[in-house]
Amino acid sequence: MNLYLYLDRKTAIHGLDPRTKLFILLGSFVVASLQEHPVSAMIVASAIVAHGALSGSLGNIRRIAGLLTAIGILTVLLWSIQAKGVTPLFWRFQVEPLLYGISTGIKIDSMIVAGVIFLSTTKNEEVAIGLVKLGLPYSFTFAFCTALRLAPTIVGSAQMVAQAQRSRGLDLRRGGLLSRTKKYIPLLIPIFLTTLRYTNQLSMALESKAFRAMGTRTFLLDARFGARDYWVAFALILVLIIAILIRIKGLGEIQGLLL
Amino acid sequence: MAQALSVRNLSFRYKGAEKNALNSVNFEAQRGEFLVVMGPSGAGKSTLISTLNGLIPHLIEGELEGNVVIDGWDTREHQTRDFATKVGLVFQDFETQLFSTNVQLEVAFGPENLALPPKEIIRRVQESLRSVGLKGFEEREPATLSGGEKQRLAIASVLAMKPKLLCLDEPTSELDPMGTDDIFAIARRVKRSRSITMIMVEHSSEEVLGADRIILLTEGEIRAMGPPKTILREVDLLREAGIRPIPITELFAQLGAHSLPLTLEEGLEHLRREGWRIDGAQYRSLRQTDELRARRYGKVLIEARGLEYTYEGGFQALKGIGLRIREGEFVAIVGQNGSGKTTLIKHFNGLLHPTKGEVRVEGVEVRETDILQLARRIGFVFQNPDHQIFAERVVEEVSFGPRNLGLPEDAITDRVTRALEAVGLLDSREADPFSLTKAERQRVAVASVLASTTKVIVLDEPTTGMDYRESIRMMELIRELNERGHTIVMVTHTLWIVSHYAHRVIVMRDGKIIRDGKTREILSDLDGLKEASLKPPQMVSFGREWGDFAFLSPEECGRCLVS
Repeated sequence: MNLYLYLDRKTAIHGLDPRTKLFILLGSFVVASLQEHPVSAMIVASAIVAHGALSGSLGNIRRIAGLLTAIGILTVLLWSIQAKGVTPLFWRFQVEPLLYGISTGIKIDSMIVAGVIFLSTTKNEEVAIGLVKLGLPYSFTFAFCTALRLAPTIVGSAQMVAQAQRSRGLDLRRGGLLSRTKKYIPLLIPIFLTTLRYTNQLSMALESKAFRAMGTRTFLLDARFGARDYWVAFALILVLIIAILIRIKGLGEIQGLLL
Repeated sequence: MAQALSVRNLSFRYKGAEKNALNSVNFEAQRGEFLVVMGPSGAGKSTLISTLNGLIPHLIEGELEGNVVIDGWDTREHQTRDFATKVGLVFQDFETQLFSTNVQLEVAFGPENLALPPKEIIRRVQESLRSVGLKGFEEREPATLSGGEKQRLAIASVLAMKPKLLCLDEPTSELDPMGTDDIFAIARRVKRSRSITMIMVEHSSEEVLGADRIILLTEGEIRAMGPPKTILREVDLLREAGIRPIPITELFAQLGAHSLPLTLEEGLEHLRREGWRIDGAQYRSLRQTDELRARRYGKVLIEARGLEYTYEGGFQALKGIGLRIREGEFVAIVGQNGSGKTTLIKHFNGLLHPTKGEVRVEGVEVRETDILQLARRIGFVFQNPDHQIFAERVVEEVSFGPRNLGLPEDAITDRVTRALEAVGLLDSREADPFSLTKAERQRVAVASVLASTTKVIVLDEPTTGMDYRESIRMMELIRELNERGHTIVMVTHTLWIVSHYAHRVIVMRDGKIIRDGKTREILSDLDGLKEASLKPPQMVSFGREWGDFAFLSPEECGRCLVS
């Protein structure tokens, strides 16, 4: 099974400079987090999904649909109970906290979706070169990107370990909380040791391929900030300013909500 | 010829180890030479390779004595990363050395580190990919390549740094026969170029005839060194050193011949010249034994009907599989990497459920049974024991299965003892599993399945990474288990193991079963094997060349030959 998110497509989004894609990601985070009302959160979410459609990464979003739904429902429930409002709905539920819960659920899901779109449209190496061009040292960006690369590898070996232990009759669904927690030991130890061995060999392979041998290095990929990137950056800044202004004016707030 | 490499009085002891891994090793290599290092597990082969670009002593700790000089540079005086343009090292595990998101960037990684201009990087990427036959794969993600393609990519990624010495540590140990052929084709090409010196660690004696010299390493010392034609004729020495002799050479050694052939053609010519012939009655009795064995099988244990499986993402791995496995059988499933072998056997213990069709174990549909019920009947030994070993003591590891089944403590002790006895590890019961060799850890994995006393034992590539002696020991253990009544289903790509041990062979290709029958019939069906990109074992080819015979081992053939 393929666990990498990157999709090799030739869309307008794929063609942007990695720095622009990083700005879009950060912009999506900021604009999403500024929303309080479900309606405005939904507008932002729609914009992010449209961005996803434009970049051809809806397939990856569908892959994590289950996770998004679970997080959404959990957030709604949590905030409906946690926050306080003034208009009763039924039993312990009130209108304002429910609205806030819904918008928070949408916000969190939007951010995850924005992250998935970023990884679906940007190769690890592009992330690295983008960060280098933003002035970060290569060693740091390489470590960051290797961590991104490592995540699916660890998930892959975790699946293998889980299958091996299930074949030996390990059933994680049975038993009380303590005994169930204990059952994770046969999974965690092999996963941990496999990962350790992997990173150890990786460091030897890197060293053998002249990693950091010279004071500097060149890149095959190039990141160039073109006209399209300037337009996107301009539009993004505009959206950010508008979103902040709306927030300062207090538009879209849920009246009567107590956090 | 100019000297490319010199190893003088080289000894190395890993930090905390009691014994030296290498002991006073001395050899030299000339520019353009192709050296093969052979030896049993633990002989120091990988250690030797790690000293050649300074991983030892710079990254791997221990005590180093003597010198390694590559192209005028002493490994002590320069860092590993500075050796990259002199030594290209391809590790045994190709997964850990591929970390880029596409093939082109993977090959570019080294030249980028050398700060070469992008134009030169592109030129080198193209050249390296062409030399390993991966042209046109530039945009592919390494994870989507087959094992053989990954290994070729790993080779291309070091060739792009234009090394003077290319070191390959067991590059074919996890590859199917076709992948192995591709690697040796690259080796031949590199050798023809005469500009790169090559050192390859390899187990298979049939494949290394084209090398210039063989270094035979045992217990950290050079036991023998010389041209393949000399070393490969020393059948006793090879066996003693845990290396499988070339079957045709072994056959003639058995017959007590004075001059030993190394190839089929030489062997056939020799037999014809000396007037040997096959005793028809003896050969018929071999076939009769096959027949008799097949009649003794019991009831159907595993049955698949119309089995199809499609992975998430749409890849259809199994297409309409139908098969029945009966009690007492010893079945080998063969086929190229990606033909669906492992996906198929994962249906037998419910790790996967069919997308279409059904799988029954003792008449009960797998989908309707839980994993605990199945674990009592079907034991599954994974390819890599390190994906399951977690306990601090062998005995604890082996009791994990029976404990999950909820057996009483005295029954567990009894079963664990018997299982450890069967795999020959009773004396190591208190040992830390991680202090054992990989072959021993694989035996721990087999014991942990046995302790659940399952009727059927399913093994995925049980001899991967083992040397000849370890493989024989593992396979003899499996044979004994089969003789004691366990049904065996084994996935492997090592065809000599299939020919020596299996009763029945299932050949898979592109998710379908293309051949299914007795080992002798299937292995001598050359068209069927070719269709699955497999090569018949040498003794089978020998029998076919001689007449309409199929011998499964040199011993069988020796019994049928009369002068």
